[in-house]
Amino acid sequence: MIELKNVTKEFKIGAKDKVTALKDINLHVGKGETVLLKGPSGSGKSTILSLIAALNKPTSGEVIVDGKRVSKLADNFTALFRRENIGFIFQRYNLIPTLSAKENVIVPLIPSNPDPIKLEKRLQELFSSFSLDSKMGVIVKNLSGGEQQRVAIMRSLINNPTIIIADEPTANLDKKLSLEFIEILRKLKSSENSIVIASHDPLFFDLDFIDRQIDIQNGEIQCY
Amino acid sequence: MQNKINRFLLDFSVLSIFRRGSKNIFIFFVFTLLIFLLSSILFISNSIKSELDTTLNELPDITVQRLQAGRAINMPLSRVDRLLAIEGVKAVIPRVWGYYYFANAGVNFSVVGIDSFEDQYRDLYSKLCDKFDFDRLKKDSGMLVGVGVKKILQNSFYGDYFNFVKPDGGLTKIKIDGVFKGDTKLESNDIILLTSQKAREIFGMNKNEAVDFVVKVANPTEIPNIARKITTLYPDSRVVTKEDLSISYQNLFDYKSGLFLALFVISAFTFFMIIYDKASGISSDEKREIGILKAVGWKIDDILKEKFYEAFILSFASFVTALCLSLFYVYFLNAPLLKNIFIGYSTLKPAFDLPFAFDFQTNAIIFFLTVPIYIAATIIPSWRVASMDADEVMR
Ligand SMILES: Nc1ncnc2c1ncn2[C@@H]1O[C@H](COP(=O)(O)OP(=O)(O)OP(=O)(O)O)[C@@H](O)[C@H]1O
Ligand SMILES: [Mg+2]
Repeated sequence: MIELKNVTKEFKIGAKDKVTALKDINLHVGKGETVLLKGPSGSGKSTILSLIAALNKPTSGEVIVDGKRVSKLADNFTALFRRENIGFIFQRYNLIPTLSAKENVIVPLIPSNPDPIKLEKRLQELFSSFSLDSKMGVIVKNLSGGEQQRVAIMRSLINNPTIIIADEPTANLDKKLSLEFIEILRKLKSSENSIVIASHDPLFFDLDFIDRQIDIQNGEIQCY
Repeated sequence: MQNKINRFLLDFSVLSIFRRGSKNIFIFFVFTLLIFLLSSILFISNSIKSELDTTLNELPDITVQRLQAGRAINMPLSRVDRLLAIEGVKAVIPRVWGYYYFANAGVNFSVVGIDSFEDQYRDLYSKLCDKFDFDRLKKDSGMLVGVGVKKILQNSFYGDYFNFVKPDGGLTKIKIDGVFKGDTKLESNDIILLTSQKAREIFGMNKNEAVDFVVKVANPTEIPNIARKITTLYPDSRVVTKEDLSISYQNLFDYKSGLFLALFVISAFTFFMIIYDKASGISSDEKREIGILKAVGWKIDDILKEKFYEAFILSFASFVTALCLSLFYVYFLNAPLLKNIFIGYSTLKPAFDLPFAFDFQTNAIIFFLTVPIYIAATIIPSWRVASMDADEVMR
């Protein structure tokens, strides 16, 4: 389903210097599998997630998702690929602060000009399952942190993705909200969905529904 | 792909305009002002040009005066036949006109003698006066006067006639046959029309003299040629052609509008810099937003389409608003202030209303000078951001 083959990623800093964020990474995540990437800050977790969602391209190596070599796709096709396959919950939510909750959730679907009636139905479902019905029209920057995160999750689910990616989902949440989020994740797990979570939050370490934990240090996968 | 308009995208664009309200209100304001100025100037100059064209068309082909010691003196009628003999000359019309000083009121009247065969004037004067009848004017030896003249005479207790004082001190009593219509451009003017014969009497002119000649030419291209022949024939004449007059009118107008255009270009440039600065400077929030859109699956062209809608709606709204404002300002209010800048022209003629001279071309020019430039100014920077890696932009 998701495959990283000998992936190296370097970032240029200024004219000459570069940082090697990932070194020769090989990773496979199967269909229906839930994987946790853990490791200290700066170890390269977010970089792996970006490469899977084709938000970025590897310096060398290949990223293959659903049989597509997304690391070789042109910009417009990676956008389409994300629209159709990926639900990404970003580290800092990345909501548009001046739009309402509902408008933020719709954003990924706008370019495909959805059927208004079906869309409305789907929104109602989502908002009631996340208990945010009453906040649909509220401008996002006026929502609490937990509410904002739920909006971010709904936005990542609106396109019914088969790959769900969550980057440090509990970094800005208190314990209660973190546990709530974990319950949401549990419900999202299915035989159809692959889930990749990056976190160094110990709350994730002993969860029954996480199939595999991968430890990353300095851009390399640690083997045991 | 889908051809129909994406309503969600359109909604999103409109929403975005309002989300960045204060910035966009500012741009709307400055942009509207800029287009308003531009279109007002084009409307005014168009209007004056068309007014000028009408005036120039009414000018005589050739006017001939006689000079002595550098001053114009009367023209003997005996010259008419020799001028008529020049090839290409269609008609020679002696004119009798001048100024009559009315001491009581301390004003000058313009006295113009007319003859019934002066077709050129027949049309014009018929337009001026309701019950105009050349033959009656000739029979009665009466006169037609402007509203201004009528008023001045009334103040001096002249009801339906006036006693002109001839140079020799004698009096000539002339009946007032009519007053010019009030709604013409000449309504407030000081003209008195009467027969050439009476005019000569008032001015004490010899029967076989005129003030100057108007020469009509069959073929307009012959005008310079014939003008030269007249000067050769009568070296004491001053010959003024339609072209001479028209060039000096035109020069004056072009000079004024050129000067104005230069001023305008400078201010337009300033305005545009302001707008460009506001419109093309992408804030870090906007940058991030573009990154987010990309990250959730918008293609570069989706983003550009959205930015296009945004820019088009804003600039087109500005354009339409400005156009309506300037139509109202120029043709309804008669362009106060701005019209005075073209003063060189307005001193040539008494006060006039700007005639409606709305043409599609002018508006197309205004449109293409403003809206697409604005759209480009906003889209290009967005495009630069949109073509970077989403990851990079969101950081
Ligand atoms: N766009 C970029 N430009 C330059 N350096 C980058 C860029 N993105 C990541 N890096 C660097 O690559 C390394 C890995 O970053 P990454 O964000 O993947 O770490 P992380 O494991 O997600 O850390 P955290 O837990 O803090 O989110 C870091 O040293 C980071 O500074
Ligand atoms: Mg990270």
